[in-house]
Amino acid sequence: MSAASRPSDGDGRGAGGAPTLSGRGLAYRHPRAERPALLDVSVEVSPGRLLAVAGPNGAGKTTLIRVLAGLLRPESGEVRLGGVGLGRIGDRDRARMLAVVPQSEASPFPATVEETVEMGRYPHLRPWERASRSDRAAVESAMWRCHVWELAGRELGGLSGGEAQRVRIARALAQEAPVVLLDEPTAGLDLRYAMELFHLLAELRGDGLALLVVTHDLNLAARFADRILLLDRGVARAQGRPTEVLTEATLEPVYEWPLRLVGHPGPGSDTGAPQTVPLRRDTDPPARASERGPPGLPDLP
Amino acid sequence: MSPYGYRMGILGAGVVVAAVLSVSVGASTVGPTDLVELLLGRSADPAAEAILLQLRLPRAVLAALVGGALALSGCAFQALLRNPLAEPYVLGISGGAAVGAVGVVVSGLAVALPWLLPLGAFAGALGAMALVLQIARSASRGTLDTRVLILSGVIVGAFFNAVILLLLLMVDAESFRSAIFWMMGNLGTASWGSNALLAALLLPAVLVLLSLARPFNLLLRGEEVAHHLGASVARVRLVAYLAGSLIVAAAVAAAGVIGFVGLIVPHAVRLAWGSDHRFLMPASVLAGAAFLLLADTAARVVAAPVELPTGVVTAVLGVPCFAALLIRGGRR
Repeated sequence: MSAASRPSDGDGRGAGGAPTLSGRGLAYRHPRAERPALLDVSVEVSPGRLLAVAGPNGAGKTTLIRVLAGLLRPESGEVRLGGVGLGRIGDRDRARMLAVVPQSEASPFPATVEETVEMGRYPHLRPWERASRSDRAAVESAMWRCHVWELAGRELGGLSGGEAQRVRIARALAQEAPVVLLDEPTAGLDLRYAMELFHLLAELRGDGLALLVVTHDLNLAARFADRILLLDRGVARAQGRPTEVLTEATLEPVYEWPLRLVGHPGPGSDTGAPQTVPLRRDTDPPARASERGPPGLPDLP
Repeated sequence: MSPYGYRMGILGAGVVVAAVLSVSVGASTVGPTDLVELLLGRSADPAAEAILLQLRLPRAVLAALVGGALALSGCAFQALLRNPLAEPYVLGISGGAAVGAVGVVVSGLAVALPWLLPLGAFAGALGAMALVLQIARSASRGTLDTRVLILSGVIVGAFFNAVILLLLLMVDAESFRSAIFWMMGNLGTASWGSNALLAALLLPAVLVLLSLARPFNLLLRGEEVAHHLGASVARVRLVAYLAGSLIVAAAVAAAGVIGFVGLIVPHAVRLAWGSDHRFLMPASVLAGAAFLLLADTAARVVAAPVELPTGVVTAVLGVPCFAALLIRGGRR
């Protein structure tokens, strides 16, 4: 057994034995950058929970994913997966527990949809081992789940943005990892695909997966996520349930834009979820919900 | 038979046919009938037997070894750099080998100590590899950025070209001719002893690269994706870069600078049968061997009795072949 599947203590595991991914006090500074991309950010991705990470462009969302995935080593703080420090887990062991769908990928080399999804089985196979029946089953089930089954023989380069995104998610699901991180999976997707994607995430959450999704869509985050982490210039501005995080007082200074929050009119189980409506610049703002000044430079520590 | 076995069978048969052709034809009148007689063990002509066993057969083995190894190194560099144009030339490794060889020729030591020439090429290739790696490392601060790596390879290659031209200005006509000939690839120096040494150098590096087929597949999708899927990217990259460079160094040392094999062969295999390295790499070894056997045969017979540098033939054959495959791939 690998060190990765042996938690040093009980704290990193949920009730069903599924591991939790946690980052404590994470800080990261890109080489030669003036300010840190992340500063003292703590985050917990737990089984059966969907955490949405939102924030303006350049807030450090992608950096957070890369640090959590072991691609970048934090300057301070520690990432633990199933209670074990990420640095002590081998690459293959890590990939069996933690799958990541990065923002985009481009390759000058062709690959079919099926070949791409099969790559998700990499951490489960030894160098010369052939794919077994269970590997095939994992690939097929991932393709079914993401509705890319009928695209199996197509070239990746010939797919629409939404199709390619679903193929990449299918590849992550084929890893059969209990923790999945997704970096802006709905970027460039139309309304229907975006809704389908979040429904898929809700389904995976129901299966007990621990999910983190970076998204610019505050409204979908409010309706689907258990918790929201709002990042701003590398700092966690707020973290909590959608109704706690999504307030005018919190969002306006972060996005530097006037906005209003309204309840989702329904119907549906998410009726009442806070929906963010940014105001037009020519709006003459009546009494604000917050006493914060007009959008401008927010207070920073 | 599985498609895998079927395709490898075709390629293997191709190598055998190319080898028989290569051994059967040449400047002398020794031909296919002599080969058949030799194989049947009733060769009548000792001169024909010597030509076959001591000249043509070692040369064919050298062509197959160098062709297969160069094609495989091309696969590795293309996957490492995620660039279909990556090639030992682009990385400056062939240039380093050429400087080492020309240096030995210009120094005049090549006449007295013939084994110094391949040794110089080997040292030059390794030096170039170290230089390119070092520049790329320093420029990308810790991690190897593939774009920086290519750029430093091009810079180092350009510098080596200048050095070669400078060296050639100082030599007499005969050394100039010899250096030029060697720079364009020459399989005529083959012997059983040098082939055995070459094979011993190539085998471990070839096995290492073949064992990296699955991580290479992931690397094609990008290093970040490969990391997330469980590949140990930094380690794979270092091991593969070292093994690939060693292959090029050994091949250039044995046969001079022969271009296009590492570029054309993997592309041809990829266009025909896809990018899965578990097939691409062993198939490229076989296809590369057959390709260089045929190219060298052409080099010996096209303008007989004058023998062309093999590297010129691979370039002349390679360019239209590349263009045709490119057009076909674009239409598909």
